[in-house]
Amino acid sequence: MVKQKKLRHHLLTLMTVFLLMNVAWFLLYIMIDHPILPSPIDVYQVIFQYDKAEMGLHIMYSLSRIFAGMILALTLGMTIGIIMGRSKLINRLLDPVVYLTYPIPKIALLPVVMLFFGLGEGSKILMIMLILIFQIIISVRDGVKAIPDNTYDVLSTLGAGRWQKFYHITLPGALSVIFSTIRISLGTAISVLFFTEIYGTEYGMGFYIMDAWLRLDYNGMYGGILLFSFLGFVLFLLIDLLDYWLMKWRRY
Amino acid sequence: MLHSTNKNSINKSGLQIVDVSVRYTNGELALDRLDLNVPEHQIYTLLGPSGCGKSTLLRSIAGLLQPNHGEITYNQFPLQKNQKQNDQHSFIGFVPQNYGLLPWKTVQGNIMTALKISRNDLARDEQHTQSQFWLTAMGIANLAHKFPLALSGGQQQRVALARTFAIQPQIMLLDEPFSALDAITREEIQRIFLQNWAIHPTTTLFVTHDVDEAIVLGQKIVIMPANKDDALTMIDNPVFPVPYNSKREHPLFFEQMKAIRKVMQEKW
Repeated sequence: MVKQKKLRHHLLTLMTVFLLMNVAWFLLYIMIDHPILPSPIDVYQVIFQYDKAEMGLHIMYSLSRIFAGMILALTLGMTIGIIMGRSKLINRLLDPVVYLTYPIPKIALLPVVMLFFGLGEGSKILMIMLILIFQIIISVRDGVKAIPDNTYDVLSTLGAGRWQKFYHITLPGALSVIFSTIRISLGTAISVLFFTEIYGTEYGMGFYIMDAWLRLDYNGMYGGILLFSFLGFVLFLLIDLLDYWLMKWRRY
Repeated sequence: MLHSTNKNSINKSGLQIVDVSVRYTNGELALDRLDLNVPEHQIYTLLGPSGCGKSTLLRSIAGLLQPNHGEITYNQFPLQKNQKQNDQHSFIGFVPQNYGLLPWKTVQGNIMTALKISRNDLARDEQHTQSQFWLTAMGIANLAHKFPLALSGGQQQRVALARTFAIQPQIMLLDEPFSALDAITREEIQRIFLQNWAIHPTTTLFVTHDVDEAIVLGQKIVIMPANKDDALTMIDNPVFPVPYNSKREHPLFFEQMKAIRKVMQEKW
């Protein structure tokens, strides 16, 4: 009952903030009074008049690029991060590599990636992966390192193998860090996605927004931005839901 | 392997620690040529000042530390990892001071995980029965689906004990398991522990810094000296067979208290 009350309160706050933002938008629209900022009412109307099949295709393209990039970055980054967290030797070998490459602004590598991998899906997915993987490696490694050594004691005396220790201790112990990393990465992934959808494609939310801008279809452009934001919101919600299921033990 | 039938073989049953030295990584000696024998199905309590190497000894027996010298055997089988026979399943139940429960697993999950790792000779439903039995014996069957962070210290320690009994180890090692509990909870859990140990007498080494606890729980009391060159002091404990509730009022209890304090004054 307390939980339900909390949830209702949370939803109410979110709705109020959303409403207030729209009111602010509307006031700004009246003040500016220029086609570069349409009224929110017109924009919402446009959203409901969108060709559903066409918009669905744009959304599907964007989603699949984000998923492919994130899954690649997560599997690779988590594997490397966990190995670096558990093995002092490998950490000593790889740490300088990560340290030196981390500060490179990866988005500046976009032209290089395009040269090597073309303008198709490959370069888009690779770009997302490239930007995410470093923060995933670093936070997963630190998360694994933060598990106290004596957590392994009881299972070690029982004769647990390497894989059993990983499955019962390292993975669940680092899971909360992995979740916060995914949350941060997702925000970054969506931004990078937008950049990569400007070139070499006719599908995706990034393409749609920039195309509307070129066609001076400002209502369509704002509608696209809103839809894109909504997409990000749903993805965040999904992660929160997963977190809720897998992290039950922490809520005391 | 077991053909040695010399006259010492009776003394060599149970947990045998022979000439064991352990050095910390900084070169300092933690244990210096230590000898100790806990016979099969007996419970010894180990008293010692902090820094005397009690935990180091326990961790060496548990296989978490590799002694630099000497050997540790159980019924003449070496316990060290590199010498362990392949067909032997691990038979040590270790209870650390912080209970050693995995916070992301429920009470039942913690016990089942331990069973899955050490007792793969049991079928899944047998493991489940075993887990249920010991949760009931420890009086926490109603907590089976709770997470450790939702439990009090005393309840968590009961879970740790249930887990250790459930795997039916040949050796039990307890490292000051009740030291973080308040006095009333501690006595309650000592009683439950002793009661269950009497039904399933496992070879046990129980480390404590509490003289009272050492007398209540040990068949013999081993006192480690502060100076690593001195030998261990072994004290027979006639209080052990006295029923738990009258132990602390028994005249022998006070005798024992005095005797131990005397050793402590000389050796600590």
